[in-house]
Amino acid sequence: MARKPAAKSAVAQAQARAAAAKRKPGGGTNKVAMLMIVAALIPFSLPTATVLVFTMLPTLAAYFSERGNSRYAWLCVGGLNFAGVIPFLFGLWFGVHTEDEALRLISDGNVLVSAYATSALGWMIYKAMPPMIGSWLKFSTDRRVGSLKAAQRKLIEDWGDEVARKPQSDAPPAAG
Amino acid sequence: MAEAEAAAGEKQAGREAPAQAGPPGVLRDRYVIRSNQPLPDLSAPNADAFAAEDKRDSNRRLYALICKPELPPRVNVMRALKGVSTLGLQSMIEWGPMAWAPAGRQCMTVVYERPAGNRVMTSLRGEARRIDEYDITRKVIEPLVNGIKELTNRGITHRAIRPTNLFFMDSGGDRLAFGDCVTSPPAFDQPLVCESVESAMCLPVSRGSGTYADDLYALGVTILFLLLGRNPVAHYDDEALLRAKIQMGSYATLVGDERLALPMIEVLRGLLCDDPDQRWDIASLDLWLQGRRLSPLQPRIEKRAARAFPFQGKEYLNCRELSAAMAKNWDLAIPPVLEGKLELWLRRAIEDKERAAVVADVVRMALGSGTDKRVATDLMLCKVLMLLDANAPIRYKGFSAMPDGYGAALAALMATRGDYRLLVESIVRDVPKLWFEARSDQPDASEANFRELRAYLTQTGMGFGIERCLYEMNDALPCQSPLLGEEYVVELRELLPALNAAAGRRSEGSKQWPCDRHIAAFMGARARSDIDRNLQALADPDGGTGLMALINLFAVFQYRLGPEQLPGLTGWLGALAQPAIAAYHSREKRKELEKELPRLVRKGSIVELYSLLDDANARAKDGSEFTWAQTQYQAAEDEIRRLQSDEEEREREADRIGKQTAAVTGIIIGMVTVTITVIMTVW
Repeated sequence: MARKPAAKSAVAQAQARAAAAKRKPGGGTNKVAMLMIVAALIPFSLPTATVLVFTMLPTLAAYFSERGNSRYAWLCVGGLNFAGVIPFLFGLWFGVHTEDEALRLISDGNVLVSAYATSALGWMIYKAMPPMIGSWLKFSTDRRVGSLKAAQRKLIEDWGDEVARKPQSDAPPAAG
Repeated sequence: MAEAEAAAGEKQAGREAPAQAGPPGVLRDRYVIRSNQPLPDLSAPNADAFAAEDKRDSNRRLYALICKPELPPRVNVMRALKGVSTLGLQSMIEWGPMAWAPAGRQCMTVVYERPAGNRVMTSLRGEARRIDEYDITRKVIEPLVNGIKELTNRGITHRAIRPTNLFFMDSGGDRLAFGDCVTSPPAFDQPLVCESVESAMCLPVSRGSGTYADDLYALGVTILFLLLGRNPVAHYDDEALLRAKIQMGSYATLVGDERLALPMIEVLRGLLCDDPDQRWDIASLDLWLQGRRLSPLQPRIEKRAARAFPFQGKEYLNCRELSAAMAKNWDLAIPPVLEGKLELWLRRAIEDKERAAVVADVVRMALGSGTDKRVATDLMLCKVLMLLDANAPIRYKGFSAMPDGYGAALAALMATRGDYRLLVESIVRDVPKLWFEARSDQPDASEANFRELRAYLTQTGMGFGIERCLYEMNDALPCQSPLLGEEYVVELRELLPALNAAAGRRSEGSKQWPCDRHIAAFMGARARSDIDRNLQALADPDGGTGLMALINLFAVFQYRLGPEQLPGLTGWLGALAQPAIAAYHSREKRKELEKELPRLVRKGSIVELYSLLDDANARAKDGSEFTWAQTQYQAAEDEIRRLQSDEEEREREADRIGKQTAAVTGIIIGMVTVTITVIMTVW
C-alpha cells in the first residue's frame, strides 16, 4: 500500500518524460524564440529591464519556490508586484528612459517598498484564499447535506420508513 | 344397527322421556311446533316427533320431526319431496331450519302429514298384524311400489324402507305409506336385515344413497315381514345374519322353511335377489302386479370351496364370506395373504387359477414395492379383498363405505368429533380408484370426484383440506363454522346475511376474520365459479393480500346474490382493512381511504369497499410513485454519503480553487493598476 503512490509516481514521471520528449521539438523552439526576442529587446529597453529585474524579484522567487501542478503563486504575487512597480515604470517611460534613472529608481526606497510590499500583499492573498474557499465550500456542502436530509425526511413523511429501502430493480414499478 | 332399532323401538313405545320443553318453534312463520307435545309414537330413530300446527289451517293434522344436529339430513331429498302427495308416501308439508328452544340452537325440521293410523310394526323383535297374500298386493305392494315409482321418477331413493317405518295413513288400516327418510343419512337407521349384502357390509353411516334396487330389496323384506307378521330372523345377531345371507343367499336366509304362496315366492325371489343386476325392477313389479307371472329367479350361490380356508378360528368356504371376515380383521388378514396361503386356496380349493394368479401378482408387487411397506401391504389387501368380492363396498382397514356414502360418513364423524383418519387415508391412498378399477361398470364421474377430493386433501390452506371435502361431498350440509353461531346456512346466498348477523356478536376490537376453514371451504364448494385461486390467496403470509382476497370473494357474492346492504359485515371487514390500506405506500392515500371507510360501512356495500381498497389504477400509481420516491431517497442518500466522505478531496479542491482565485485576483489587481496608471498618465 505504501509503495503504491511511489510506483504511480514513477509511472507518472515516465509518462511525463515521454510526453516532454514528444513535446520537445515544438515547445523548445517557442521558448528559444521568445528568449531571442527578449534578448533582442534588451539593448533597446535596458533601463526597463533593469527596473523589472530588481523590482520583480519576489515574483521570480514565487515562481521558483512553488512545486506541483497548481503553480499559481507567481501569478498572484506577480500581479500585485507589477501593480506596485507599474507607476514607476510609467515615470521611467514617460520621463528619462536612461540607465541612470533606472539605477536611481532601484536604489529608491519608496520604489522598493512599493514593489515588495505589494508582492507581500500578493503572498498574503495567495495564502489566505484557499482557507477562505475551503470554509465557503464546507458551508455550501453542509447546506446541501441539510437540504438533502430535509428532502429525505419529507419522503419518509409521505411514504413511510420503507421508502429508505433500496428499490427492487427487477420488480415492475406498478407492483406496489 | 340392532341397538339403534331397539332404541327406536323403545322411543316408539313412549318410554323415553321427552326432551326438555320450551317455547314452541315456528317454521317459516307458519307452522308452530309444540315442544311440550312430543309424539314418541311418530319419532324416527334419530329425530324426535312433536305436534305441529298450521297457523292458516288449524284443522290440518301435522307432526314435525326435529333432526339431530350431529347427523346430516338429506336436504336434497327434502327439496324433491316437499309437497309431493301420492299413494305410498307420507306428504312432506314443509322443511327448513328452525330455532328450537329445547336444543338451544337451530335444528332442521320436517313437517309431515300426521297419519291417522298407527305404525305398522313398533319393533323388529315384536309382532305385526299379518296381512295375507290376498290383501297384501292391494294394501301393501301397490301403494308402496307407487311410492318407490314416485321417488324413482324424481331421481331419489328412500333408503329407510322397513316394517317399523310404515304407517297406516287411515284409521281403517287400508292405506299404507312409508315414513320419514330425510332426517338422517341414507340407510343410517336401516336394520341389517333390510339391507342387501353389500350395503350391510358398510358402516351404517356410509351406506350411501344407493339405487332403487336397494329400496326394492328393503321392500321385499318388508313384504315378507308383513306376510309373516313377524321377523323371521329375529334370533340372528347382525354378524350371523350377514354370514347367513352370504352363505345361503338372502331369500333362503329370510324365508327359510316358511310356506308361502307361489306368487309371493315369485315376487320375493325377485326382490330379495342378491345380484342387484338381476333383482326385480319397477317394470318387473308392474308386470307382476298386472298378473303376468314371471319365472322365479333361481339364487346364484357363490362357488363353494372344496376345502375351507381357516381364518381366525373359523372356516370359510367361499370368497365373499372370507373377504368380509378379512376386512373385519385387517391386520390379521395380511400374513396369510403375504405367505401365499390365499393364492394356494384359490388355486386348489376354489379352482380359480386366473384369480389366484392375479392375487399372486398383487402380492408380488406389494413385496417388491419401494414405498412404505405398511402402506403397500394395506393397499395389497384392499386389492385382494376386491378380487375376492368385487361387489363389496370400499374397505380400508376398519372403514367400509359405498362411494356415495363417504359424504354422510365424513359429516357424521366430523359433527361427533369422531376419528375420520381412515376415511381420509383411503382417499389419499386412492383406494376408491382401486375399487372403481375393480368394477369397470361404475361411471367415471365418481372416480373423478375422488381424484378432486384427493387434490383438496393434499392442500392444507384455508378453503381446502378435510373441510373442503366435507362440503364437496355433502352439497346440502349447512356450514359448520362456529362463527355463524345458530345460523343454519345451507346455500351460499345465506352466508353473507349470517355473517352480517354474526358481526353484531363479535367483541369490539377483535381481530377475528369473518372467515375460518369451514366458511372458506363452504364458499369453495358452493360457489358455481372456480374460486380456488382466491382461496389460495387467503393463506398468503401478507395479511393485506389475504384480506383483499376475502373482500373480493364477499364482494362478488354480494354483487351476485345480494343483499345490497350488509353494514355489520362491511364494518367488520372495514375494521380489519388496515393491512389492505397499509398495502398502499402513500400516507396521503391511506388517510384518504381511512376517511372514506366509515361512509361505505354505513352504506353496507362490500362491493364498494372492495373497489375502494383495490383500485388497480390507484395501486399502480402508488407503486410507481413509491418506486420514484425510493429512487429519490437513494439518490439523496448517495449524494450525502459522497459529500460527507470526500473531506480530503474537498480540501484539495478548496486549495486549488483558492490558488486559482488568488491568481486571478492578483492579475486583475495588476491590470486595474495598469489601467488606472495609464489613464492618470494620459490625462
